[in-house]
Parts: sequence; structure tokens; C-alpha cells
Amino acid sequence: MKFTLLLCALATCANAAQPVLVRVTPETLAKLQQRDPMIRLEKPAPGEAKVTRPGKQSIIKQSTILHDGRSWTLVPVSAVVFIPENLKTRVNVKPVGNLLPWNEFLGKNRSWITTNEVSFEQAAGSEALPVERTEFWAKQDKIVVATHNNGPISVRRVEKTQTLTQR
Amino acid sequence: MKSLLSIAVLGLLGASAHAGDYVNFLRQEQQDNGVVWDMPVEATGASNSALALEKGGALFQLWTIEQEASADYLLDQKLVGAYLPVAAITVTTLDPHGDTPRTRIDQPFTVEIDVSGLLTGGGFPLSASSVVLERHLATSPDEETSIDPSIAVSGTPASSAFIKQNGATVLRFSASALTAEDPTKAVGEEHFVVHAIAEDQVSQSQIASARLQVWPVASGTIKGINNGDELRFETPPVELLLNDLYPRSDSYLLLYKGTQVAGATGAVVKAYPVDRDTPDSNVLRVTELDSMITEDGTYTLALLSDTVYGRELLCDPVTFTVNRTMRVNAMQVSFSDSVEN
Repeated sequence: MKFTLLLCALATCANAAQPVLVRVTPETLAKLQQRDPMIRLEKPAPGEAKVTRPGKQSIIKQSTILHDGRSWTLVPVSAVVFIPENLKTRVNVKPVGNLLPWNEFLGKNRSWITTNEVSFEQAAGSEALPVERTEFWAKQDKIVVATHNNGPISVRRVEKTQTLTQR
Repeated sequence: MKSLLSIAVLGLLGASAHAGDYVNFLRQEQQDNGVVWDMPVEATGASNSALALEKGGALFQLWTIEQEASADYLLDQKLVGAYLPVAAITVTTLDPHGDTPRTRIDQPFTVEIDVSGLLTGGGFPLSASSVVLERHLATSPDEETSIDPSIAVSGTPASSAFIKQNGATVLRFSASALTAEDPTKAVGEEHFVVHAIAEDQVSQSQIASARLQVWPVASGTIKGINNGDELRFETPPVELLLNDLYPRSDSYLLLYKGTQVAGATGAVVKAYPVDRDTPDSNVLRVTELDSMITEDGTYTLALLSDTVYGRELLCDPVTFTVNRTMRVNAMQVSFSDSVEN
């Protein structure tokens, strides 16, 4: 009964006399397309407006991949600041399995990943990382990822400048 | 100058950054020193960037990665800086549905660009007093193929112009500028991008962007019965070829008594609703026609589609006549007379 009522309502609505428009023709469409409101704005002369447009990008290609055999995640290139020899196979291989957000992946893999919170100045390379901390990395037997406010961050490593003695 | 930036994380794919088939990443790249930071994100909400905004600004990119194919998509990006102008783009169409603004190739739409932070009054360098608006056209080979937004805006724009004043600039377009062999069948996307004019080298100068989905105009064919046909017995088998029916449209084959469609009331022979957010094509067999024609006369069949833009004919109506009354022409002959003679 309900179905019949629905059909009746549909038919009444559909067949009621209402304005019927004719399908647009290519000629009419071409005329509409010629009305471009951008022509009232000033056009830049060639080379006048220096803009930089993005090209083809890939966050996967612009990242370091970490994986545990079942799942994987990605962090910015240079965020992995220390890799023990025996864990090199877990870095930068073809991703397989489930992709996890960084925090979830870290939570599941704390046995072999640790983080080192860094300041923005340390990430930018304007301030060196404390030597005692970098020396400690090698004693943990874990991959070390630099983080800032819990998010992985790239670190520009400052080479220790040698003191030259002038004779 | 150092300040913290409040950035809204767009909610696109579910309740968390890890929503089933997709995982989202929000990446910030400092333009002055190249430091890259992945901000811990939820799928919806707002968060402060923990990095300082330096003179050259920072590029924010919202990415999503599809699990199965490990395919990454750049959903949005924006260059933000303490000394950069700020812009926002709003696209408005006649179609209120859909997550992304959508329209049909022949329908009007409005683009509003709101700019602040430009220096006005004259004598300022172009980079401080102007932004550049670009219109990019990305034609799609079909309705199923998605367009990578970063590719869509990477080439030379279809048109570009300066905006040199703060506040709203409103542009009213009469139709999309996408093209195709049959212009009414063009499908794809229009992208509007605002760039800051860069004095220094930046990886990208985009400060705002907006996307408009463009669908083609539907068309159709009534097959099996032609204009001017005279039907005497059963109606022939009729097929409807429906092409590119607009999302959330209702299409009908209506039967009218007489030759008029406009202003007349027709009976529904067949109905076909499209309850999805992409266009639909289909072939339908019509078997109901015969039972609906109960008396002789002239009839018209019209294939129509109701969309948010109104009721439109998908093809020319077909007018035909039905004449099923059997006439017997005979002469009465009396056999009795001849027997008597």
C-alpha cells in the first residue's frame, strides 16, 4: 500500500506540467564561455608575476620509510638521526602491509624505535645537538627519530668545526 | 618575527588521521631553512603549529595516502608567512550538494577571493601590493578518473590576473571554460589559485586554492520508435539510452496525448532516479508503453531529466499516431434473389 502511494506521489510530481528547458547547444555554450569576468582584472605582463607552482610531488618519495614487516609509516627525510647496523633493513625499503600514522607506529614498535625531542634551532642546524645525547644513541640499539612536539622533524646536522691553530 | 600559526586540519576521510583505507599527514616545510615537520593530526579540528613562522614563511601540505595502492594524494597546500598576504577562495554554485563545489558545464558559478595583508597606496613593490589569481582547467578523460590537484595547478594557467586590493573580489562566471570535442560533454575540474609574488626563492608560492568539479550535460535517445510513425498493432520494443545523467537527478519517459510537451501534463512511462554523486549512464527497456495506450490518437514521448537546474529535454520528443480500429469494407450480396430467378 505504501509503495503504491509512493508511486502515485512520484507520478503526480513527475508529470505535472512545469517549464521544460531545451538542452544547451554547443553554440549557446560557446557564447556563455566567452563572458569571462577575469578580463576586467589587470593581466600580468610576461615574467612580471614571479610565482612558483608545484610540480608532481610525492610525500612517500620525499620521506624516510620505517617498517616492521607488517606495517609501515613515514617521517621526513633526515628525521631518522641514528640507525644501528642490525636495524638498517627496517629503513627505506618498499612499503608493505598497513600504513600507520607516526604515533600509532611508534606505539607498536617502541622496542626498536625511540625518539629524541629537539628544539627548532637544533632542527635548523643553528644549534648543535648535545654530544652526550648523540653518544648515548649508539648504546640503545634502537633507531632514533628526531621529534618536535611529538611530530617527526628533519634535523640538519652541524659538523663540528675544527679549531685551526695558526703557526 | 616569530608567531604561532593556527591551522585548520581538514576533515575529509573519517574520524581520525587513520581512517580505514586512507591515512592523512600534515607536513610543514620552513622556506628559510628547509626544516620539515610532520604535525600530529586528527582528521578534523584545529591545531597550533609548533614551529615558528620565519620571514620566508612555511608551506603547509595536507596529504592522504591510500592503503591498498600506497598512492599519495596532495589534498591541499598553502604558503603562510608573517609578511605574506593572506587569501581565501570561496566557490559557489547552484548545486547545494557534494563535498566539493560542483556544477554543470553550462551553468553559472561565482568565485569570491578575499585578500588581506596587501600594502596599498602606491610606491610599494609588487610583492607587497599584489597577489596573482590563476584559473587552471583540468579536463578529465571520463567521469571516473580523478585528477591529482598538484598536477592540475602545476602547468601554465588558462588565465591569470593581479588582485591589488584587500577585501573581496567577486567573479561571476556564466559557464565553465572546460572544452571537449562536444563542448556540452566536457568533464573535469577548474582550479582557482592565489599566489603570493615571491621575492625570495620559495618552493611554492600558493597561498590559497579552491576546486570546482564540472560535470557534462546529460543526453538521451529514444530508440525503436520514430517521429511520424503510425502504429496499428502492438507498440514496437522501445529502448532508452541515457548518458551522463546529473548526480541526484530524476529522469522520466513521459507520454503526452497530442503533440505538445510544454505546458502539458504527461503520464510517467518509466522513471530513473540517480542517487549518487557522480553522473550515471544506462540503457533501459520500456515495456509499459503498450498498456498505457488504450485509444487511438496522436501521442508524444518525451525523455526528460529533473536536476537542480530545472526540467530539461534529453533529446527531441517523438510524436506518433496509433490507429487500431479495424474497418471492414464489404458489399452485401443477396443470394436468395438469384435462386428465385
